[in-house]
Amino acid sequence: MSAPILQLQGLCKSFGETEIIRGVDLELAPGERRALIGPNGAGKSTLFHLISGNLPPSAGKIAFQGREITGWAPQRINRLGLARSFQITNIFPKLTVFENIRLAVMRKQTQPTAFWRRVDRLPGLREATEALLERVRLQTRAKGLAGELSYSEQRSLEIAMTLASDPQLILLDEPMAGMSGEETDYTMELIRDVTAGRALLIVEHDMDVVFRLADRISVLVYGQVIATDTPEKIRQHQGVREAYLGEEVAGEVAS
Amino acid sequence: MRTSTSLLLGGVALLAALPALLTAGLLNAAVQMLIAALFASAYGQLAGRAGMLSFGHAAYFGVGAFATVHAMDALNGAGLLPTPLMPLVGAAAGLGFGVVAGWFATQRSGTAFAMITLAIAELLHALAPQLKSLFGGESGISVMRTPAWGFNFGSTTQVYYLTLVWVLLSLALLYFHTRTSAGRLTLGLRENSHRLRFLGYDVHRLGVSAFAISGLFSGVAGALQVLANESANYVVFEAHVSASVVLNSYIGGVGVFLGPALGAALMSFFGYAVSDATQAWLLYQGVLFVLVMMFMPEGLVGLGGAAARRVKQLGASRAPPLLLLWLLAVLLLAAGAVFLVELLQRLCSQDYRALARAAAGWPPVTMFGQSWAAVGLATWIWPLGLLAGGGSLLAFAQRRLQMKEAQA
Repeated sequence: MSAPILQLQGLCKSFGETEIIRGVDLELAPGERRALIGPNGAGKSTLFHLISGNLPPSAGKIAFQGREITGWAPQRINRLGLARSFQITNIFPKLTVFENIRLAVMRKQTQPTAFWRRVDRLPGLREATEALLERVRLQTRAKGLAGELSYSEQRSLEIAMTLASDPQLILLDEPMAGMSGEETDYTMELIRDVTAGRALLIVEHDMDVVFRLADRISVLVYGQVIATDTPEKIRQHQGVREAYLGEEVAGEVAS
Repeated sequence: MRTSTSLLLGGVALLAALPALLTAGLLNAAVQMLIAALFASAYGQLAGRAGMLSFGHAAYFGVGAFATVHAMDALNGAGLLPTPLMPLVGAAAGLGFGVVAGWFATQRSGTAFAMITLAIAELLHALAPQLKSLFGGESGISVMRTPAWGFNFGSTTQVYYLTLVWVLLSLALLYFHTRTSAGRLTLGLRENSHRLRFLGYDVHRLGVSAFAISGLFSGVAGALQVLANESANYVVFEAHVSASVVLNSYIGGVGVFLGPALGAALMSFFGYAVSDATQAWLLYQGVLFVLVMMFMPEGLVGLGGAAARRVKQLGASRAPPLLLLWLLAVLLLAAGAVFLVELLQRLCSQDYRALARAAAGWPPVTMFGQSWAAVGLATWIWPLGLLAGGGSLLAFAQRRLQMKEAQA
């Protein structure tokens, strides 16, 4: 196996007396699609916050592409090639859909904060923005305000903004939440498509999606990874069945 | 697009023609209006587009002003900075101070940010009277506009054109900024700075840059005021300077590029026209601010849009009479309110109470060049009648509107 793109070692996070993440070790291979599952309150979102720099860990190490990034500011981590989406939609609601994606794409420009060049004259920016819009099927909504999109359209917008920086590792926090069946299918194909050649770490409650999309699955329970394996093995895993899936769900998935 | 361009060109042409149309006194007022407009536009860059509510913008205006007054004094028009280029000194000082103050202030957002900006301005305000050599003490610092480039800057007209050129140039640059990637990021900063961070942007640096640009143009406005007045005094650091720019900008409307400028120009014109005639000017300013915030949060520039929407909704033939009716009602209400305020202000003044004690009664008051009995129907019927008339007209207009809406 090649050197891991993401490596977590003994990662802990407590809020006061409460320990949310209790010593997580995790390795992600380049190009791997990994799902992170676990019951509510297991610490999945907190783990994402630690990896993306939104929260500093209490103990432990995070390495991305062999480089230790523990305690780095979010924007530095992002520039290394690690992008994330948010569980609660996190967009620019009063700007147009086009502007939302353009702000995300602009970061790839050589001088993204230039105040001496008109934004509509920046090379390739419009094309790259339109290509992303089309990819998430929002081209007809480009001129509308992002806050006026439907919920699932906003989720698509999130994914587009996450992709904009052409990251090596993508963290998606429940991208399908609130989507219809058809939208879920489309979004799953989209994620499969756009993560080809990239590593993906995804938190998702839709087990159907998880088992179809992931190369491997890690199960987080009470702040600890209790198992990491292929979808088939996870289905059979006795500890996972007891701790998380429950016999009913596990049976359903296995059938 | 074409209408807005022709409106813009018409506005500039009108501004350029003003010296031929106005008396020297009014032209001086126009200079002050232009400076206030630029200051408010610089403020709008921060409050409107970057979403940072500064309560201490007098600091950047004042720093620009004092830097300019010292530069004029030291250089005396010689060297690379003749009189017409002096605003560059104000710009540099505003920018420099904006970077330093902004670096601290933008560490926080919301209320904490507002309090830091207030504290920085109050710090200068408290310090300035102590540092006589720097800020000139009570009497301030006076300088002369040295002739340059064939102009002697002795006439109000020449000062007006100097101010106009700098204000238009600054507004053009501020507008250009909204079209750049830095300007678009400024909007992102207002909308969701948290998300920007996860798109790879250094939010603090963006904040400092937005703050410093606002400081720069505030500094230019301060410099222009020094050029116009040929002096600088530490009263520019007073809290009411910071307060006015907030009020003026929001009365105009910070959501639109020219909103703050129009609001500031309008309010400083009223200030000039009315402040001699009334002692309640600050009250009117405050009441207007409260009314605008309550009924038109988009500011006065929002009125144009609202009127246009009505015309579109009701049709070009049915909307104008209704809008006129509405305007008349507002004017009547305003007239009634002004009458009442002026009357009460006179009756409550110390002079009047002394008079009343001496006369052991209610002597008449002088108002609008006439004598009015303090007690008596003939006086009080006016404000009450105006208010009642305006109120019922407004109610009538509202009913008509609902009827026509139902028809449309």
